[in-house]
Order: sequence, then C-alpha cells, then structure tokens
Amino acid sequence: MMNLARALDRRCRRRWCLAVLAALLVEAGMGSALALAGLEASVRDDKGQPVSDAVVYVASGGREARSPRPGTAVMDQQNKEFTPHVLAVEVGMGVEFPNRDRIRHHVYSFSPAKKFELPLYIGTPPPVVFENPGPVALGCNIHDWMVGHIFVAPTRYFAMTGAEGVARLTDLPAGVHELRVWHPRMRIATEKTAQQVTVERAGEAKAVFVLRLQREWRAPRREYGPSGG
Amino acid sequence: MAGAAPGVRAVRRLTVWRPRFGSVRTRIVVLFLGLLVLVQGTVLVIIDLAGRQAARTRLAEELAVGAKVFDRLLAARTEQLAEAARLLSGDFGFKVAATSGDHPTVLSALNNHRVRVGADRMMLATLDGRLQADTLQPELRVAPFPFPELLEAAEDTGQAVSIAVIEDGAYQLVAVPLLAPLPVAWIAVGFQIDDRMARELRDLTLVEVSFLHVGPDGHRRLLASTLPSRSRQAAVASAPPAGSSVSLITAGDEHVALAVPLGADAQAPVVALLQRSLADVLAPLRRTQLLLLGVTAGGLLVSGVAAVFIARRVTWPVLELVAGARRVEDGDYGDPIRIEQQDELGELAATFNRMMLGLAERDRVRAELERLSRLRRFFSPQLAEAIVSSGDEAVLTSHRREITVVFCDLRGFTAFAETAAPEELMGLLREYHEALGQLIFEFEGTLERFTGDGLMVFFNDPLPCPDPAARAVRLADAMRRRTAELSEGWQRRGYDLGFGVGVAMGYATLGRIGFEGRVDYAAIGSVTNLSARLCAEARNGQILITQRVLTEVEDLVDAESLGDLTLKGFQRPVPVFNVRGLRADRAGAAAPARTG
Repeated sequence: MMNLARALDRRCRRRWCLAVLAALLVEAGMGSALALAGLEASVRDDKGQPVSDAVVYVASGGREARSPRPGTAVMDQQNKEFTPHVLAVEVGMGVEFPNRDRIRHHVYSFSPAKKFELPLYIGTPPPVVFENPGPVALGCNIHDWMVGHIFVAPTRYFAMTGAEGVARLTDLPAGVHELRVWHPRMRIATEKTAQQVTVERAGEAKAVFVLRLQREWRAPRREYGPSGG
Repeated sequence: MAGAAPGVRAVRRLTVWRPRFGSVRTRIVVLFLGLLVLVQGTVLVIIDLAGRQAARTRLAEELAVGAKVFDRLLAARTEQLAEAARLLSGDFGFKVAATSGDHPTVLSALNNHRVRVGADRMMLATLDGRLQADTLQPELRVAPFPFPELLEAAEDTGQAVSIAVIEDGAYQLVAVPLLAPLPVAWIAVGFQIDDRMARELRDLTLVEVSFLHVGPDGHRRLLASTLPSRSRQAAVASAPPAGSSVSLITAGDEHVALAVPLGADAQAPVVALLQRSLADVLAPLRRTQLLLLGVTAGGLLVSGVAAVFIARRVTWPVLELVAGARRVEDGDYGDPIRIEQQDELGELAATFNRMMLGLAERDRVRAELERLSRLRRFFSPQLAEAIVSSGDEAVLTSHRREITVVFCDLRGFTAFAETAAPEELMGLLREYHEALGQLIFEFEGTLERFTGDGLMVFFNDPLPCPDPAARAVRLADAMRRRTAELSEGWQRRGYDLGFGVGVAMGYATLGRIGFEGRVDYAAIGSVTNLSARLCAEARNGQILITQRVLTEVEDLVDAESLGDLTLKGFQRPVPVFNVRGLRADRAGAAAPARTG
C-alpha cells in the first residue's frame, strides 16, 4: 500500500514537473486568452502524504461561475455513518439525506453556513438547500460518532481529491483564478489557503496545496448487542 | 519466732512508724517499692515502645494502602467528572443553547447543567481560548479563559483535567469540547476541592485527607481538610514534601503522613496530605497501659504494706537491741532484751543479755571494791571486808559506843625531825608506819588517824568485838616489841628515838566526819584525849593504861601502878598503870583470832 502510494507520488511529482514546464511554455508562447482549460491540484499534508477528501475550489468568479440551476446531491446515512464522509456542493444546491438504515436518525448542523435539523426520521425527507458557502458539519443526535461534512463551494468550479490527493477541475475558463482548498481537519481557515493560478486555454494548469491536519474529532463508535446494519 | 507479744508490738509500732530516711526500715521499703516500680516501669516502657513501633509500622502500611485507594478514588472521581462533562457536551439541548450566541441563555443552560451533574462551576470558552460564560462570574462577558493550559492539554487529548487554584479555593477542572459534532467550544466543569470532598475521600480511605496549595515560593495554604480546626495549622506546617514516602511526624500529635501530588505532575501546586494519627491506633494500647498502671498501683500498695510488715519483722529486733543498748548506756541493766528468734539476731540478743549481766556484775564488783578501798583507809582489811560483805554501811553512821583507844608516838621525834634530812625522815616514818600498820591490820584495829609519828587506833567499832581491851593491850605490846627492834637499827644510824603508848577505854561518838570528797571515820570523846595524854606521859617503852582497861586485861598482863597522874584537860587525877609485859601463860593467846 505504502509502496503503491509512493510510486503514485513519484509519478505525480514527475508529471507535475512536466505540467509546470508545459504551462510555462504555453504561457510564454500564447499569453492569456479566455478559453476552457483543466487544472490539476494536488493536496498533501506536511509530511508529503496525499490528502483525500479535500475540496479544491475557485474562490473568485462572478455570477457566471455559478450554475444556472444547481442540482441535488445526496448524503446517505448507511450503517450509521454519513456516506460520503465529505460532500462538496455548489452554493444553492439541495442535498437529500436518505436514511437507508432501519432505525431513525436525527441529522443536525450548528455550522454558521447552514443550521438545520431533521428530527428523527425514516426514508428521504425533502432536500435541504444550502444557500451560503462554507463548511457544514453534520451530526446525528442519537449517534455521536456519526460525523459528515458538506462543503458549500461558492462556484461550480470545485473538485475533491481522491485517494492519491489530486483534484481535477475541468472546463475552467482561461485566466487567473484564486484557488482555495478546504478539508475537515485543516488547522487554518480556508481563506488562508488562497493561491493564484493562471489557466491557459486548452492547457492543463497545476496547483499544490500543503495542509497541516489535526486529529479527527469523533466520538468512538462503541456498539454492543444487535446493530442496525 | 516472734510470739503473740512481739506481733502485737509490731502492729503498735507500725501505727506510730514515721518514715525516716536513713533508717533500715525505710530503706527496705524503698528498696522493695523501688524494685517493683523499676520492673513495672520497664514493662510499661517496653510495652509502650513495642506498641508504638507496631502502631507506626501498621499505620505506615495502612497509609500506603490508603494512598493507593486514594489514588484510585481520585482517578475514578476524575473519570466520573469527565464522564459527566462528556455527557453534558453530548446533550443536544445544551448544544442548541450553547450555539445560540445569547449570553443569558448560555449562562442559564450552563447553570442548569451544572446542577444536573452536581458541579460547582461551569464555563464555556471558544476554541481560540476566550471565555464566553462563567457561572461563577455571571456578569463577565468577554475575557480570556483563566486556565489556558487546561485547553492546551485538552486540544491534544480531547479531554483534560487539572487543579485550578483561585482566591477562595481550588477546583478540579475538567475540560471537554462541545461536539456539534465537531468541537465548537470548550466546556469546563469545576468541582470544588472542599471539606465535603475531603470527608468523602476519608470515609472510603480511612485516612485523614487535607488538600494543600503549594505556592511558587513554597508557601503552603490549606484548601480543605477533614482534620479538626485545632490541628490543621500543625498539619500544614509539618507536611512532608510531595512525592516522598510515608513520613513519621512526631511534632504535635504523632502521626504518619504522605503527600500525594494531585495529577501526574509531582510539581503540582496542589497536594493531598494523607495522615493517620497514632493516637487512634494507640487507643487500645493506652487502655491496656492504663489497666497495667492500675495493676501496678495496686501491686505497689500491696507491696508497700507487705514491705512495711517485712521491714518491721526484720528491724524490730534491731530496734529492740538499740533500745536495750540505750538502757545499758543509761546504766540500767535490769531489763533484758526479749527476742526469742532462733536466728542470728536472737543469738545477738542472747549475747547482748549475757554482756548486760556481765556489765551489771562488773559494776557491782567495782562498786564493792570502791567501797572496800574507801573503808580500808580506816579499817583493817578483815574489818573492811566484813563491813562490805554486810551489804550496808549503816555501821558507819553516827553512833555512841564504848571503845578502847590505843594512842602511840615516838619519843624524841620532834628533835629528830628538826635535824634529820627529809629523805631520812620520810624513810624512817615509812618503815615505822609499815611496821605498825601491819600490826594494826593483824589485830583488826580501826586506824583513826596518822599524825606524823603518832597514830590512833581503836577497837570495838565499827564492828563490835568481844575483847577490845585485850586486843588493844596486845597490839600495844606488839607495837612496843616491833619498835624496839626498829629502834636497834635507828640506834645504829644514830637516831635516839623511843616509843610510848597510851590505852584508854570509854564511850565516844563515832561516825563519818568531813565533807564530800574527804570523809574520815572519827571517834570523838574524852577517851581519845585520855589515851593521847597517857601516851604523852609514857616514857620510852612504857604502855600506860587506865584502871578501866586494867580491869579488862588483869589476867592477861603484868602491870604496875604508877599512881594517880594529873593529866592536862582532866580535873581529877587519873590512876595509871604501866604494862610491863604480857603474862607468859597467856602468851599463847597473844595472836588474836581471825575474824574474816
């Protein structure tokens, strides 16, 4: 596993170097121009390990950066856990909280971006719309260990890192963008991660974030007797 | 051994006995009691030492166990507090209230939950360390959290416990995050370290519990204690340093003590002082000692009485002997010592009695001898002994009796005394007196006096004799013959000395005359004068006697009448006879019959 990660890392680094070189060549050759392009952002912790479940998003951008009709995302409750653990949505989107367990859940949030509460329920209540950007921590009132995160991005340009710690933004308009990253365990505010990235038309830009992560605050899951799933 | 009488005496003496230091009896009693006190005292001291040692060891062990229990209890209690705080942090209603942002609401919710978990203080702080609400300071709104190190510790481990000391006491503080579900704030729950908490811990650990705050300068302040207020100050002062092993504190109430730092840090500002008093453990020992002391006192009493009795038994013969010796000292030999014991003291008493008898006999003999020697001045040895053996000297008291007096002296002595050397004179007199004295003793005459060459002897007094006149004449004759012999020697030495005798018979008054220290036995009457005058009239070798004497000795002597002589002091002429010699047929009776 470690070997695989290291191999990936090495490959990424090599690719990243090539990409930076290419970007520089493209910029030098073509200058700035409005065009759609891609961006690959790599997120690591301070020990150089890839960080998954990090949301990389473009902070700047006006109304044109928003989706005209944001869709609906899903945050499942399955086997007494929020699935996925982290969900990134665009501001204005609705999120459904289907309960796939046979017991009830009581989903709540006290986060400033969205305070809400879905008292004990079964099935799928109406979606909750997230009007304000920012992180929203989800909990279940009757299962302390259930922690989920919804990051409400201010634009539609956002992506999450996978296991290899890389997020890919596509269809970015060419130009200079302010990139930010958010992770549930990051120690600093997301605003402080901002970095300017120039994206060339039809080019592929690269960005690197290094985050110091703190421990995960999570109540231990101790269950005895018949479990819900 | 001692019969009934000494026993009775013992009791009588006992009642009047006064302890006198230095007396054997006191020493015996003191020795007895001293030994008992020594033995019992040693036993008491050994019991005390051993008891104390055992108590100390036991206490130290108990305290070590108590300290372990204390540690566990404190840990359990802390965990319980943390659990209460955690439960609180999971309370949905509290989360709602705490995140409402409304200070009165937050404060109210804190108070509500504080009461719910039985805490003394609750605080809410932001994640970046600002105090949001404090039930102890309800009016305070914005301030830094007073115990930032607590939050730092909690950030690392998710939960932190510490002791927070403030002005009016100390708190055991537990900080946990308020999870919604991520930490949104810190909840700090405080439990005051007070006497109640100390008492709870004491009830479970069975040791006295005190909490001390140790300031940076080492100053100790008592926060809470189970000790009575009077012994608190001493406990603080004598507390051993934190983290050391069990110490024995002998200052004030003796106890063992152990100082346990609260929390893992040995430099913690608050230490729990655990103590156990020796007095509690020693209480049964004290009761035993008290009992033993009572037994000792009883034993002392009994031994004291016994010692007095024994001392009495041992010493009364000694006292008896002392009393006997005193009586002897005073010259009283009449009362022998009555000790019938068959031991050394009895033997001593018997010896003493014998000695007393001997002394009495000696005194009696000495007195007799004294009397005898005194009587011998006047009387012949036989007479003196006769007087002494008669038992009384009544014969010497003044009385009147007919006596025969012999008076003699030397002719020409006055002239001789004037010319002779003193040595010669005294030698001659000694010779003369020796010779006559021997004869006087022989004839048992009473020598009344010496006057130089003259001497006076009488018969029939103080002891009467049947033939005084005869004895007198025989004596006179014997003296004449003796001096005649002596005279031959004197003649050869050139002294011309003659010897004359006068013998008279008649009544005289007899008795002791003189004064204390110089008493003579004397005869007073004309008969002595008459004999002296006759002696004066006698020429050398003549023995002049009166008619009265001649009548008595007519058969005995060959006498010639010298006619009537006029004598000085006598009005009428006195017929005087000269004894020429003793008749030859009576010569056999010349020696007198011995009387003694």
